[in-house]
Amino acid sequence: MSTSLALHNSRKRKNGVMMTLCVIAAGIGLAWLALILGALLYKGLSGLSLSVFTQMTPPPGDAGGLLNAIYGSIVMTIIGIVVGTPIGVLAGTYMAEYGRFSKLTTVVRFINDILLSAPSIIIGLFVYELLVRPMGHFSAIAGAVALSILVIPVVVRTTEDMLNLVPNALREAGAAIGAPRWVVIRSVAYRAALSGIVTGILLAIARISGETAPLLFTALNNQFWSSNLNAPMASLPVTIFQFALSPYEEWQQLAWTGALIITMTVLGLSVIARSLTGRREDR
Amino acid sequence: MKPMLSTDLNAPDTTVEKAKIEVKNLNFYYGQSKALKDINLSLPERSVTAFIGPSGCGKSTLLRVLNRIYELYPKQSAEGQVLLDGKNILDRSQDLNLLRTKIGMVFQKPTPFPMSIYENIAFGVRLYEKISKAEMDSRVEQALKRAALWNEVKDKLNASGLSLSGGQQQRLCIARTVAVKPEVILLDEPASALDPLSTAKIEELIDELQADYTIVIVTHNMQQAARVSRQTAFMYLGELVEFDRTEKIFTSPREKRTQDYITGRFG
Repeated sequence: MSTSLALHNSRKRKNGVMMTLCVIAAGIGLAWLALILGALLYKGLSGLSLSVFTQMTPPPGDAGGLLNAIYGSIVMTIIGIVVGTPIGVLAGTYMAEYGRFSKLTTVVRFINDILLSAPSIIIGLFVYELLVRPMGHFSAIAGAVALSILVIPVVVRTTEDMLNLVPNALREAGAAIGAPRWVVIRSVAYRAALSGIVTGILLAIARISGETAPLLFTALNNQFWSSNLNAPMASLPVTIFQFALSPYEEWQQLAWTGALIITMTVLGLSVIARSLTGRREDR
Repeated sequence: MKPMLSTDLNAPDTTVEKAKIEVKNLNFYYGQSKALKDINLSLPERSVTAFIGPSGCGKSTLLRVLNRIYELYPKQSAEGQVLLDGKNILDRSQDLNLLRTKIGMVFQKPTPFPMSIYENIAFGVRLYEKISKAEMDSRVEQALKRAALWNEVKDKLNASGLSLSGGQQQRLCIARTVAVKPEVILLDEPASALDPLSTAKIEELIDELQADYTIVIVTHNMQQAARVSRQTAFMYLGELVEFDRTEKIFTSPREKRTQDYITGRFG
């Protein structure tokens, strides 16, 4: 009996040590996030004012806002999502529904995973070669195309995963009532997987709204207001990149404020995405 | 039709009635492995037939051949003939969706669609019929009444089908199947995921439905087979061992394997 008690005590000690290590590790991970958010709030909030949303990026040494950059980010993100989402959802649908047992699906999934983890600067270079060079100039269109290429693998992956979570019994039930395949997919599988698919799209928005590298080679940047899709366009990430590296104090302040705006937007989208998936698990 | 009393006890009386479904020399394969071996049987119209047997005996497989639901999966194939009113449904030219409107199916786990109770039933009807809102309302009501669910859900038709209890969900699935006016209803262990009370309700329902439908039920619960069915097929290792009137199977089976199974010596 005494030996087993000793064993029990030593297990308890080991458990204590491991738990402490885990808590410390989790704490370190969270601390960085808190530090980043804290620094952003501290440095960015002071520059947050209405003029940030109403004025253009200023020349060095002048006061101004981020309106053209915010506009550019929104426009290019929307085009990227509008182009990338249908392709991603349809590809994911093929993989999870029609091509579930086909070799092509395995190949596409493998390539998609590579695309998913490809450095975004490579995508930027690719679109540079594909569009910017033939067109002869940087443009918002090229930027949006680069972003849409980043959207596709994210949406493909989540769509396929979410459709795969839909129980096969539900598809069988749909077929058993005489519904053609496409009706089962549209009315049953999509409905069952809806919150997951929407979450994937929100995550894709969150991802591309912070991307800098693919825009550097494609949309470049623009100091002024431009709504011409065929011309260089400003975006928040690139503006932050440029302003943060500059020696001018006003620009640095705007960079902090821009960073705060992006982070809060992404945070907000992630919270929405989380709550959508959370609701799904509740059911 | 012969009077019941004079029925020869040695011959299955299933032959005297009109056969709704006839299975002839049916073989079934999962890839290379043979799951059904030369099955022959004939299911009489408007009565309940039960398939019993130990796990893996092929009873569910046989059921899944009858509406060709197995075709959702590649590498599963059937050989032979399944005649529905004399017409071979295994024929390539058979339209699968039309076949499945004639032969409905209810599954082991309740599978309500992720939509409202009303829509769960209207969904199937709408696929093949264009009817007015009023007609649809009455169709939904009839189906729910038929499935003995109307009184429980009539005030919350717009609630999600998923909000119902397991037993209610299963009756919703039966209502959904009945609503498209099939001729045959296949039930794949419809009560195995339900509590005894819900099971009793489902069994009552099956008893009522046989007045209008040809019903085939797969069950691993022998008492259930004895309670609800008129004829029973005992299957073992992919073979149809014995097929006869239910009371015959459970009181004086011809085969020793049937005897061993129903007395609980294996399975």
